[in-house]
Amino acid sequence: MIDTLKAIAVTGVGVVSPYGTGLYRLQEGMLAGRCCLAPAAELFPGFRGTVAQVGELPPLTDGLRYSRTDRLGMIAARDAVAAFTGSANMLRESGIVMASTVAGLSEIDPEISKGPAEWYRHGGLSRAASYPVSRVATSVAEHLGIEGPACAVSVACASGAIAIALAANMLLDGAAPMVLAGGSDALCPFTLSGFNSLQALDGDPCRPFDRNRKGLNIGEGAAVLALETLDQAKRRGAPILAVLRGWAMSNDASHPTAPHKEGAGLAACIQLAIQMAECGVDEVGYVNAHGTGTPLNDIAETHAYESAFKCRRDPIPVSSTKSYFGHCLGAAGALEAAITILAMRNSALFPTLRLTDPIESDRVDWLRGELRRKPLPVAMSVSAGFGGSNAALVFGSRCA
Amino acid sequence: MKTILPVLTGIGSVTPYGPLAGLIDAPPPQPSAITAWATPELRRAFQVEPFRPADIVPGVKTRRLDRLSVWALVAASLALRDAGIDLEKVDRSRVAVVFASGFGCLDLTAAFFQSAVANGWAATDPITFPETLGNAPAGHVALFHQLRGPNITLASKTFAAESALLQAASFLRHGQAEIAVVLAGDTLTQAVYEWYEEAHLLSPACFRNESVSRNCGYVPSEGVTAVVLEAEVRDEVRPYAALHSGRWAAQGDVQSAIDQLMGGVQARFIFCANDGAPCSNSPANSPARGMTGEGSAILPAEPVAAGMAETGGLLHLLLALSKRPGPGQALQLGVSAHGGYAALRLEIF
Repeated sequence: MIDTLKAIAVTGVGVVSPYGTGLYRLQEGMLAGRCCLAPAAELFPGFRGTVAQVGELPPLTDGLRYSRTDRLGMIAARDAVAAFTGSANMLRESGIVMASTVAGLSEIDPEISKGPAEWYRHGGLSRAASYPVSRVATSVAEHLGIEGPACAVSVACASGAIAIALAANMLLDGAAPMVLAGGSDALCPFTLSGFNSLQALDGDPCRPFDRNRKGLNIGEGAAVLALETLDQAKRRGAPILAVLRGWAMSNDASHPTAPHKEGAGLAACIQLAIQMAECGVDEVGYVNAHGTGTPLNDIAETHAYESAFKCRRDPIPVSSTKSYFGHCLGAAGALEAAITILAMRNSALFPTLRLTDPIESDRVDWLRGELRRKPLPVAMSVSAGFGGSNAALVFGSRCA
Repeated sequence: MKTILPVLTGIGSVTPYGPLAGLIDAPPPQPSAITAWATPELRRAFQVEPFRPADIVPGVKTRRLDRLSVWALVAASLALRDAGIDLEKVDRSRVAVVFASGFGCLDLTAAFFQSAVANGWAATDPITFPETLGNAPAGHVALFHQLRGPNITLASKTFAAESALLQAASFLRHGQAEIAVVLAGDTLTQAVYEWYEEAHLLSPACFRNESVSRNCGYVPSEGVTAVVLEAEVRDEVRPYAALHSGRWAAQGDVQSAIDQLMGGVQARFIFCANDGAPCSNSPANSPARGMTGEGSAILPAEPVAAGMAETGGLLHLLLALSKRPGPGQALQLGVSAHGGYAALRLEIF
């Protein structure tokens, strides 16, 4: 029995992914097992790698003064409320929590470091105005005429999932009647260069959880969930796509960039989210993993699943859908929440692509090869990031 | 369900007043001449003077960190010290860190851009990159103090600090943490200062050696303020204040929000938290002035707090508490030129 006063309904999902705009495009691409990763055009001189890019963005009449990250977020948010059935007041009073790590960084030219004033005088002033991460949330608010509390979250690669968790808290606090929560990040030389400098990139399409994995690929996109309390959604007869039953956040406090070797922080986070969802570990039918494909992340994450699900009767089914369109950084947690909802709605456990020689574990059921069909009443999405942050979201397909 | 009223038990700050634990007794600082980069003529701002972090927080190592991370580490440590919290006796998985920043780690972001200019994007500095991330300061606070609870970094146009306080209070209310270290701040760099200058936002006081007043206009400032929020009052501690509730919005009817927030309770004190604008006579603050009755007072912010565009809310609160207004209900109110607002209802002890 779900406590409708403590659970959160997902009443809309908007997506911009390398498959195109809309949840249906994402669903179609993922069910077909289509990989969007491709060799990059010269995103900057000397860069040879594999990325997943969103094509040309649909036109935005007010889109010219926004960064690409802003525009990805605005389109996803608009898509999330495209079928909104509530009142205009409800939409206007909504809150916004948008995650991003890149934000307007893509608009800043390295030449700024030689002399900011000069760069501003040559057209940089308005471009720099899109730099603050708060701008991603403000852009969505302006675009949709939303006037409620708006904030942006920047917690590295856990940002998107944390945005959803914070939005859920805000709803329980009564801060807004609905909160649009998600993440948006564009491809950007700064981040590509940064991960390249850390030797964290795989030049070929990534192989999460494979023993021969070499690193991650960067993608871009945005996803936004329209959230409201389950109680309210039921009362107003809103279409309910899924129910957010549990959420948790933790920190490894172990290393500035590397995860805890045993995945202790992530395991604790997963357990807290399951506890909040008031479901047993055996009820969780699928975990959409963080699964970046880096040597350190994937082994630590495997240990986290072994620890958090050690009381399960059967190994926990796990896959990384970053193998389809890379790591979308601040948007990843939100996109993967959308994919988890798709998995439940289609009774489809998405396999990890290119996983041929998985990390050995007798407690993890690595999803690979063919798409597996199975009813999924409860599924989970897990995220982690630099700075030691972790987040876990537990979704249910039933609202009673 | 037990009702939780978060209490503010500790304060730490690294601001133009210096690195301090607790309330601030020093007189308001004046802007100082910028020397960190070459300026064509006199340029002034409220700046944090250099200091040795290890002199204040023994054992802290900050050599490769952005100034924002360093200040966050020091301010958080001072706030925990001021709260009298012995972390050895605390379940650190129940301690959250909530950090508000408008611009993130700008020093090292500039350094990374410089390495791209010097060496090309294909040969940038791997040591610098992770320290440019917006959540690096909060991550370092967690790492140094082994705080394993929720750890978030957020931004919100004009009201990032107030937003952070409310998110932290939410963690406490929902049992996701028992203690929260809330921080808000930014560094002032050449890129930020010159953006303000090119956008013609700076006060004339930035260009002349003169004393600043509360109506001087916008003089950029920098620093990090930290507070400790706890879910319960410990026997041995007298809190500074309790945070009843709060509201913030990008647009909306401020008066109506205040009415809902205060629920008919008259605020004895109104803490002004506007950015750049004068507080006591700003048209934006008419709701606050309308509420000011017999025995009620507006405590205007010092320009040093008003000079932090996104994250001044915590410093505003600290400076208001430092006036030692005495016990009573207070409303911290910030109103932006764009129609946004943030209102916090506090009980001062």
